[in-house]
Amino acid sequence: MSETSDRLLRGYQAQEKRFLERRFPLRFTTENPILRELYGQAKGLRWNPETDIAWGRFDPQLYPPAAREAARLVWSRRAWGTYPGLGENTALLIRFCLESGAAGMDAKLFLSFRPAEEAKHLEACFLFARHLGGYESTPAAAVARASNQPFAQMALDPDVSVEAVIAALGGLDDQLDLNLCLSHLQHSRDETARQILRLVATDKQRHVLFAWTLLGDRLPRLDAAGRAAVGLAVRDMLERVILTGYRNTWLLPAEAREPLLAAEALTAEHGLGASTVAQEKAVVRATLSQVRERLATWDITLAPVDHPELGRA
Amino acid sequence: MSTYLAETRYPLELAPAMPDVWELWQRAKTLEWDPELDIPWEELHPERYPEEQIMAARLHWSRRTWGEYGAISESPALLLRFCLENRLADLRFFFTMRTQEEGRHAEASWLMAERLGGYFPQPQNPPTATAVGTHGVRRMAFDPDTSLEGIFASLVCAAEEILIDAFKATVHKATNPAVRRLMELILRDEVRHIAFGWQCLDAWAPTFTPETVKNIERATTQMIQNVEFNGYRNLWLAIEGGSATPLEIDADRVACEAGLGGTTPEDEMRIVPQFIKKIRARMAPWGVNLPLFDHPKLGKV
Repeated sequence: MSETSDRLLRGYQAQEKRFLERRFPLRFTTENPILRELYGQAKGLRWNPETDIAWGRFDPQLYPPAAREAARLVWSRRAWGTYPGLGENTALLIRFCLESGAAGMDAKLFLSFRPAEEAKHLEACFLFARHLGGYESTPAAAVARASNQPFAQMALDPDVSVEAVIAALGGLDDQLDLNLCLSHLQHSRDETARQILRLVATDKQRHVLFAWTLLGDRLPRLDAAGRAAVGLAVRDMLERVILTGYRNTWLLPAEAREPLLAAEALTAEHGLGASTVAQEKAVVRATLSQVRERLATWDITLAPVDHPELGRA
Repeated sequence: MSTYLAETRYPLELAPAMPDVWELWQRAKTLEWDPELDIPWEELHPERYPEEQIMAARLHWSRRTWGEYGAISESPALLLRFCLENRLADLRFFFTMRTQEEGRHAEASWLMAERLGGYFPQPQNPPTATAVGTHGVRRMAFDPDTSLEGIFASLVCAAEEILIDAFKATVHKATNPAVRRLMELILRDEVRHIAFGWQCLDAWAPTFTPETVKNIERATTQMIQNVEFNGYRNLWLAIEGGSATPLEIDADRVACEAGLGGTTPEDEMRIVPQFIKKIRARMAPWGVNLPLFDHPKLGKV
């Protein structure tokens, strides 16, 4: 065990000790039928990246070497962005359990499935990168920094409300992730890329619905201070994470964008599962409007942001 | 978010490195099932059983639900530890499916209790909650002073192994088709969970230090003495008796005799000593010496 992992583990240990778990009464009855339905759908819509994607029909030789090289880098990056979902959602599941045995079973059952769904997405990205020439395990330093966010720690932090965690991770980041995925799907021509993106988007749609349903249930019960904290968490996620390039290469510091930015352009050009910068900018702007409108229904304000790449959004 | 520590996440290796564990991940994906759809609930027919047997079965399946819940609320912490310690991708991939499967087992056990007449959300006497409420794995997983090998040995190779041994030894007694199918489906998943634990420990064994071996001995011994012999799985085994009611203690026997799941004391007298003998022999090549355990009902095992 390294010194870093030792310190991180002690951090989790300290966080966990701050909760007083009351396991009993342990209730399983449905509290929120929509959340339970989403869990039911997760059970029914299972898929397997090994067998449900027609790998045998993908012919890399149809693409020039430069396009394959670009796409393998893009799909590797997608794997780096997917991987955190394993830990974040596990931490969130534990958080729900620590908070109450009596409440939240719909969310717990849903979250018991989600890490495996993220793992399937991860495997699909990995396999496609492999078919394109090889998965890249190490990003450039700036990309590594941008994609390495401590969301699992946030999910277990008793000082951050569950609502704030879900709003930041689910309402904003998952929503943006879904919208980007749909944009890539819309602009892809390669059959394999489209198949992966379609399967992944189906799961992500459920993840986003989970977040908004849960927020719809819980936010009206929060007082003004609680809602303000939710607004701050979303704002923090936007400014410190999203707008610094967590999902979008063109939002990374200028000197850190290449060669990934060029790779994304080439991948988009060949229809292998990416969007152009202009298309992604439209998605980010639309997502911010969408999230802002949703939050406004609970009197939570997400003020416009000014960003050199994005303008006022 | 700046107050949190950054993980050392890269290089993020995703290629399989433990083929047997990778195979378990692949198999888990092909053997998914749905408690709502894959159990022949229409064959449960609770109305055909006397009230005493139905009550026992409801108690048995409620307690199984509480036990399965531990694998939703506690053992997923191990995945966080795998991630922090940059353990092989095979472990991380497989463990995501394990959490999903345990959630399914909890839901299925709850549904069984419900459809038998009603799930009990808590023990009849609250103090029993300490016996049946937790196996303490989350605390262990977040404790850097407890080795991963020790946690594996105690959770996967001890706590889960005895559960499966009891299922294997008694599934033929479940004459009710719905109960039997549920037991078979749970068994099928749990076999993979146990294989995972043993495969990991076998692979790591050449690197065990004397301290690792002691850690395994200590953790496994504690799991048997403080959890299994405290009635976590079967209250009849609880050394202290605790505050469980006679109805709760006898529930497994009555349910088992009705063909509705559970074990009899005679089953336990046979299964537990065999289980301890088995894991003692299985761990011996690693240099692990499990002590003899004294149990008032089982004797020296």
